[in-house]
Amino acid sequence: MPVEIPKDKWPGSVRTVTIGALPKDGGTRKCTVTVGGETTMPFLHYEGEIPNRPVVAIEIMDRQPDDWSPLLAEAWKDVMDDPAKWAVAAEQAGADLLVLELSLNNRNGEPTTPDEAVSAVKSVLAASGLPLIVFGPGQAEADNALLVPISEATKGERIVLGICEDKNYRTIVATAMANDHLVSARTAMDVNLAKQLNILISDMGLPLDRILMDPTTGALGYGIEYGFSVMERLRLAALQGDKMTQLPMIVTPGYEAWKIKESKVGEGVPETWGDWLNRAINWETLTAITLLESGADVLVLRHPESVKRVKRAIDELMSAKELV
Amino acid sequence: MALSGIQIYKLLPQTNCKECGFPTCLAFAMKLAAKQVELSSCPYVSEASKAQLEESAAPPIRLITLKSNGYEVKVGNEVVLYRHEKTFYNKSGLFVKLHTSQIENALIEETRRINQYQVNYVGMDLEVDGIAVEDDTHDPAKMKAAVTAIRSVSKKPLILISSAVDVLEAGLSQLSGETPLVCCANSTNWEKFAELAGKYKAILAIESDKIDEFVELTEKIKSKGIEDLVLIPNGKNLGHNLILQTQIRRAAIKANLRALGYPTLAFCSSPVEAAQAITKYAGFVVLDEFAAELIYSLLVLRQNIYTDPQKPIQVQPGLYEINNPKENDPVLVTTNFSITYFSVANEVEGSGLPAWLLVADAEGMSVLTAWAAGKFDADRIAKAVKSTNVTDKLSKHLLILPGSVAVLSGEVEAELPDWEIRVGPREAVDIPKFYKLALQVN
Amino acid sequence: MAEYKVRFDPNTEPVVVKSGTLIIEAAKQAGLDILQPCGGQGRCGRCIVQVMDGTVRHRSSLRLSKEDIQAGYALACQSIIESDILVRIPEQDKIERRLMSDRTALEIEIPPGYSPEYKQSLRRFSIQLSPPSYEDQTDDLTRLKKEITLKLGYRNIFIPLGLINKISQALRLGNWNVTIFLHIGELDDRMKYVQLVDILPGIIAEEDPLWGAAIDIGTTTVTLWLVDLMTGKVHAQVAEYNDQIRRGEDVISRIIYADKNGGLTELQQLVLGTINELMETACKRVKFHRVKPEDVYKVSVAGNTTMMHLFLGVPANNIRLSPFIPSFNQAPIIYAKEIGLKTHPFAIVDCLPGVASYVGADITAGVLSAGVDLADQLTLFLDVGTNGEMVLGSKEWLVTCACSAGPAFEGAGVQSGMRATTGAIEEVWINSNTYEPTYRVIGGGKPRGICGSGLISLLAEMFITGLIDKAGNLNPSLPTNRVREGEHGLEYVVVWAVEAYSGEDIVFTRVDVDNLLRAKAAIYAGFLVLAQSVGVPLESTEQVLIGGSFGKYLNIEKSIQIGLLPDLPWERFRFLGNTAVKGAYYALLDKHSRKRLDEIASKMTYIELSADNSFYEAFMSALFLPHTDLSKFPSVEKAMKSIQYSETI
Repeated sequence: MPVEIPKDKWPGSVRTVTIGALPKDGGTRKCTVTVGGETTMPFLHYEGEIPNRPVVAIEIMDRQPDDWSPLLAEAWKDVMDDPAKWAVAAEQAGADLLVLELSLNNRNGEPTTPDEAVSAVKSVLAASGLPLIVFGPGQAEADNALLVPISEATKGERIVLGICEDKNYRTIVATAMANDHLVSARTAMDVNLAKQLNILISDMGLPLDRILMDPTTGALGYGIEYGFSVMERLRLAALQGDKMTQLPMIVTPGYEAWKIKESKVGEGVPETWGDWLNRAINWETLTAITLLESGADVLVLRHPESVKRVKRAIDELMSAKELV
Repeated sequence: MALSGIQIYKLLPQTNCKECGFPTCLAFAMKLAAKQVELSSCPYVSEASKAQLEESAAPPIRLITLKSNGYEVKVGNEVVLYRHEKTFYNKSGLFVKLHTSQIENALIEETRRINQYQVNYVGMDLEVDGIAVEDDTHDPAKMKAAVTAIRSVSKKPLILISSAVDVLEAGLSQLSGETPLVCCANSTNWEKFAELAGKYKAILAIESDKIDEFVELTEKIKSKGIEDLVLIPNGKNLGHNLILQTQIRRAAIKANLRALGYPTLAFCSSPVEAAQAITKYAGFVVLDEFAAELIYSLLVLRQNIYTDPQKPIQVQPGLYEINNPKENDPVLVTTNFSITYFSVANEVEGSGLPAWLLVADAEGMSVLTAWAAGKFDADRIAKAVKSTNVTDKLSKHLLILPGSVAVLSGEVEAELPDWEIRVGPREAVDIPKFYKLALQVN
Repeated sequence: MAEYKVRFDPNTEPVVVKSGTLIIEAAKQAGLDILQPCGGQGRCGRCIVQVMDGTVRHRSSLRLSKEDIQAGYALACQSIIESDILVRIPEQDKIERRLMSDRTALEIEIPPGYSPEYKQSLRRFSIQLSPPSYEDQTDDLTRLKKEITLKLGYRNIFIPLGLINKISQALRLGNWNVTIFLHIGELDDRMKYVQLVDILPGIIAEEDPLWGAAIDIGTTTVTLWLVDLMTGKVHAQVAEYNDQIRRGEDVISRIIYADKNGGLTELQQLVLGTINELMETACKRVKFHRVKPEDVYKVSVAGNTTMMHLFLGVPANNIRLSPFIPSFNQAPIIYAKEIGLKTHPFAIVDCLPGVASYVGADITAGVLSAGVDLADQLTLFLDVGTNGEMVLGSKEWLVTCACSAGPAFEGAGVQSGMRATTGAIEEVWINSNTYEPTYRVIGGGKPRGICGSGLISLLAEMFITGLIDKAGNLNPSLPTNRVREGEHGLEYVVVWAVEAYSGEDIVFTRVDVDNLLRAKAAIYAGFLVLAQSVGVPLESTEQVLIGGSFGKYLNIEKSIQIGLLPDLPWERFRFLGNTAVKGAYYALLDKHSRKRLDEIASKMTYIELSADNSFYEAFMSALFLPHTDLSKFPSVEKAMKSIQYSETI
């Protein structure tokens, strides 16, 4: 007895965005990453197309980070003080692309100079052929000061430059436009704010297929439900045909999950929290999976084990296409 | 289908008699639409309207209650596919699986651990809901012994798993007065299973990986008088399960297909599977093993996903560190309305200046609204200072009030005599300047 | 290239222009000066002309209706001459009127068919009593009551102690001819009762005025109309700032002040002081009659719930505390002397009914005077003050809510803001090429600041010209020295110091932009939540009635451009001025209107905005110019496109 299962047919779709440029297209990458293009809610292959699988990026820094969990230091060991080595290790750990985050201050505690930032980016580009995302230190002035020279020094690479925020987007967008890069637009867990920033950026003339949106998500236990619902709503709006929400979403579960006590702290926590390492990896993985199922296209992770688990989950979620 | 406030209003007497406790019939209708009040509060509603309203109120997914002596796990009654559309009502029941092959002592020890497990998350004590016992010996006596052993240390509701009716019956016979769940019925054994469920008033779970088969089975079993059913979509992998769960939920809610209007159960052998089961529609989640760190993360995820999204968006009250503050950095006070919090936090974070951000519980209101409503006053600010023990963390006690509640400074001083109270700017955007000018920090 | 002859009326000397010339250029050639405050962008509509003969091509006709175009109207700065033409230049003041016609204050009409006999609850009767004698030993009070029952038919008569001692003297002084003032009330549909309000010796002529007052106690402004209850005519309209302002600008600070020791009494005395002074002033303004405040026998009072509490000296603290329950929504009728109102001591004081803590009698009175409760069409009624209160509905149902818009529209909370008085900039135009502003100042002198309508106009202009982006961020890279780094980040200089009254720059800061954005977003979000609560689309609103003193100065186009008002055809908007005092006036005159007011108050469904997330959602999406969902504002989208178009020419 066949049953008619109601299917959602959507008028809209997510835009396709390609990160990185091959030599023939003016870059130096050995491969590119294309995300987006979905015409359905996450992994509902029976309703629509999911032409590109979500990808996993590994977050590395321009120098040994000051405040990362010792568990991460243990996982990456001695590569952490050399972005080039770290990039290679990340590639070996299964990263589809890399996120390089710039520190506010250099090793000597002085503000990172544009030259230092440019050379870190160049060393990563030289060491690994993966497409690259570069995040500034997250302060308007420093971001602008570092990202502009990076953008100019890497013209044509189709790097994703971040972080564009509603109070600070003009400079980054302008330099991305001038140097054939992309931008990542970050807003604070709100559908409207996300949409507004996309409008502002596209008003400056940057084509929508060069924008990733980062809705900020919170970690498991720390507001992930808002991130989850904001992403579901953004994706639904995109499928309903709202152009300003039809951008692939980038999320940072690694950053979110590793900044909280559950992952950072091993001692003096309740016994019911269980084993530290497993808990921390669980936290990152569960945060990532929850966001994956609400529409994430690029997941930025930190621990190699989480990368393995999330990639396996993506495999299974994508292969279900053959089962229905 | 659910009716809107205005549609319900048209079915009410429209006399604004106020006897229901609401000022107008329309106000009452809106509360009815939001399911926050019972129709019986209206003494004058006509029989015809009553019938119409009651029909529209029937939930598309049946409410299933697992019961044991002193415990209840309710699942079902859901009305939406996406939590933002309304809310997810009944949290997935979280169960841990034990086996009949385990020796008695191990079984008891494991049960005790599960039973005792309790973890505090933002002031709530979270627990595992119950235990599933899987028959891996095909021996009724073992099942009986296992159930007896579990019951000697735990009263939490049980799920019994076997392909053999006699094994299940051995377990059920030990659970009189309870409403456990038995599984798994399928296309070959369903008749015997239905009979068993009927006899012991148990809830029956059906397993399949085909939607059509579920529909066929639920209808057949329902015709035997068994109505409390649970579906176990047993897909080939994570992706397949997601699709089956979604199809069942969607058919029940969007097409009002009663044959699929039952909660589901998911057997999970990995954290990832369990996480997906919680976010994507499983009524019961049965874990393969007990590990504190996994249970904790899943209980938190469940708590998060089942939070009512209609409630004003709040951040958790408490002390937040921005830009690695030291013991002589100032404490900025604000409320727990998310936008207020974010605008202050972003401004400070973006400026690179270190601060302790003390978020007081103002019931999710912005500074001025909360102050106006009496939810952000000297008393609450003092309470926030004390509950976070911030005094002990710092060598310098400098508290900055939002400029818009400058009026509170005297009272706060009186409440916190050890603190220096300063009035900050009205607008978050002026905080960096305030640091530079008033606090002489660069 | 073709050449065309252009003649202007009233200046008839023709000029010859090349094909492709704009009318405005031809006019310049002919030595004519056509005003173009917007710098020739086709946005202000001030350069409107009428093409009497010949053809032109409209580059933009944003300001013109179909009928206008058919009648030959064209914007001089946007019309390209394509043949020999004759152009008429309308007189400038006619254009002003054309643009402003809906902004003129309404005259107060006496409600048609007014007669004190059928409508008025306060009545004056001159009656003759038979004098007492040794045979007729009836006491004075009984004699009076008996006569009232016998002659006028009223049975339940209440007489306050303060009047009993006046009766005997009045009867004897008037030689048993007296004039009595009765307030006729209804206990239910059948039972009436009367209260004696005054007794005077002698007969008073029927046509002599009988004075009453309609009052609206606003948080900022108190308005009083002095009315002759015999004819219904309003003889004086006066208004003054509420003296309570010195104890706090908004209701919340007043409530908190009232909670302090002695604060309640002080605030009550302050507002009574304002009203009593207004009463004096109003009496002096009346022409042809000598009126004293003591001659006022009946007062109807509208005002928000807090103002009503403070007026009566009732603690108001629970209004601000969740769940926001006031002491009363409907106060009983009282005598003036109970609170110290300087009218006749036994004057009837009727405080009109409200709905909730933040939807008071000013709104129910507004609904009454605007006729929302009788409307066949879906009507949105809006009263903007410190709070934005709004009502959506028709004769079938009414829903209402209040959102705290903040005082930005009253010019407060904005660095260069001020009230709409002399010296306030009330309208601004910014040239989209030079970013130079032109503005109009109330009273015409040097500008002192910017009032609410000026702020709306300024925000809209800055947005349309690209000085700010859709999020309100100032663009620092434009070729103008008016955008600069100020104390609060970037700011725009509207008036340079040398041109300003104070000798200091008048600036508009990022913080000001944010305050205005929040204010407009709160109001628009209120509309949206009301519409959502009953499941009707906001666009289906058939008329928008705007009350409140602020409403008079609101420019619809600019208000739509910034997303304050919904993008509906302009003809659906109507400004009604102070609808609260007008409603109080109707209630003062007509007992049927007064009854309708009770029905309105009982029928209005109050939507508490803090109860769930929908307001917050709507607010966030409205916190953008004009709105996050641009499809809700098609006319603004069109206007922006047309500017981009004109920039590229």
